[in-house]
Amino acid sequence: APKPSWADEVGEEFDPLPLETFTDENGIKTVVEYKTNDDGKKVTRKIKKTLITERVNKAVAERKKWAKFGEERGKKVGPDLSTTSIGEQIFLKLSSNFKNAETTDDNIVNKGKLKKILCRICKGDHFTTKCPYKDTLQPLDEINTTIPDASKDSAPAAEPAQPDTTSGKYIPPSLRAGNKGTGDSFKERKDDATIRVTNLSEDTTEADIHDLFRRFGSISRVYLARDRETNVCKGFAFVSFQLRDDASRALQAINGYGYDNLILRVEWAK
Amino acid sequence: MRPILLQGHTRSLTQIKYNREGDLLFSVSKDQVVNVWYSHNGERLGTYNGHVGAIWTVDVNSTSTLLLTGSADNTAKLWEVQTGKCLHTWEFKTAIKRVAFSEDDAMALAVTEQRMGYPGTVVILSIKNDIETEQSDEPINIIYPKGSKAMAAEWGYLNKYIITGHEDGSVAQYDWKTGDQIKSVKAHNAEITDLQMSEDRTYFITASKDKSAQIFESNTLNHLKKYMTDAPLNSAAITPIQDFVILGGGQDAMQVTTTTMRQGKFECRFYHKILEDVEVGRVKGHFGPINTIAVHPDGKSFSSGGEDGYVRVHHFDEDYFRFKYPELH
Repeated sequence: APKPSWADEVGEEFDPLPLETFTDENGIKTVVEYKTNDDGKKVTRKIKKTLITERVNKAVAERKKWAKFGEERGKKVGPDLSTTSIGEQIFLKLSSNFKNAETTDDNIVNKGKLKKILCRICKGDHFTTKCPYKDTLQPLDEINTTIPDASKDSAPAAEPAQPDTTSGKYIPPSLRAGNKGTGDSFKERKDDATIRVTNLSEDTTEADIHDLFRRFGSISRVYLARDRETNVCKGFAFVSFQLRDDASRALQAINGYGYDNLILRVEWAK
Repeated sequence: MRPILLQGHTRSLTQIKYNREGDLLFSVSKDQVVNVWYSHNGERLGTYNGHVGAIWTVDVNSTSTLLLTGSADNTAKLWEVQTGKCLHTWEFKTAIKRVAFSEDDAMALAVTEQRMGYPGTVVILSIKNDIETEQSDEPINIIYPKGSKAMAAEWGYLNKYIITGHEDGSVAQYDWKTGDQIKSVKAHNAEITDLQMSEDRTYFITASKDKSAQIFESNTLNHLKKYMTDAPLNSAAITPIQDFVILGGGQDAMQVTTTTMRQGKFECRFYHKILEDVEVGRVKGHFGPINTIAVHPDGKSFSSGGEDGYVRVHHFDEDYFRFKYPELH
């Protein structure tokens, strides 16, 4: 490339910075621009232009010159943004092993999203609330949790949770085994020792909640509400302790506590 | 690759077709609009206005001078490609589901719907390629397929015969001069939704709601290949280079998910034409089932039209052309 050595000789305040154009043997035209930027430094900008000549059928070239008609009559040359746009980048990954690659991805995705409907009571192909054995059998996962609970301090609580299933008397839904109302399938059963924390900031994580509350006792579960699409915290969380006393002390201590510039509020989860 | 999105329709696409050189792409839809686009950049060239019903089908002659469309308004219209002017209208008793020019542009077939006592037919029209000349209203012949109605049809090479795909999944060959069926085979287990010829018309591909696409030899109707998928297919096309077939459809188990659809999930599937069972890739993007697929005659790009009203034009990347199936090369 030619060196603009004359630029060094001339005083900087007065010389108009040159614009150079040269074409190399491949037909690539290069335009070189020199500017002085704000710091007084010389900045070079090179623009390379390549002219691509495509051979097309003569008829094709003719059609390119046609006047627009119908709904397009009178419109200017070039694509109209109301009818033509560019889509997101997509990759056509051609591979001889495509099927195998795809199915593994799909399995991982489906496990999280598309679960088969399984009843907790009888493992049938229906929702728990629609189970034909709702009145008689206890949900299978309940049987596991109510047993250890009964041996702990929640003895009074265990009784209504496990009423006599063979008496033949009518048991209202609220007193039935494993049911806290029909819409409650997703709530935790350890509700007696569960507190709800609200007014959390958007970037709070489960780990933050865990760190904040572990000093009050052993935590059996943390549930942080997240927005389904963006995954940011929705502002509240549920913390379940092993012992109700721990939950109680946590409630007293954290309620009104400032965390990440917000005053937290803690209540019993009901 | 970055597909070009063509938003010229407000309802689902029914058919898209490239002209012989591939520089123009025609699209028709249930919204009664016929659009023509420059395929290299997606720029719309014009529209053909006149139909008063959903348009089911479109075809262009080899010199890109005449355009033929078939509609639910019981007419087939002939248009001057360059100006959008309607040159002739043929009236029928029922909707036209498929039109196709013969190889020499001198004739066209029109598949009419079966409805209200009228049987489905395949009408053979005479086409005068001079724009100034008045077109003839009288068809050369009318074929009455016995049994199940025809859904799609195409011309064989050298105008030897017509190939038809039927609602009962059968494929037949008809002599258009006499109206007689030459031969027929039971191809699919459900209705045939599309039928596209290879470049030289010696073989063709059929797409069906039975979730498969098949390739047959035109002369003998011998079955050559079968591609199985998990979704009912609406369209199938053959690529002139690279030995692929592209299949499109929809309405599979995916409908059941409740995940958000920021990027459309309906896909065009690429299968290796020779190896049948080998799916080599998928192109996502449509927000609804894919109704029609067309491949550019030079094989360097393809387009798909969907239930979502979009046409997506894809120009393949470098790596598409370098792909070689390992065991064969």
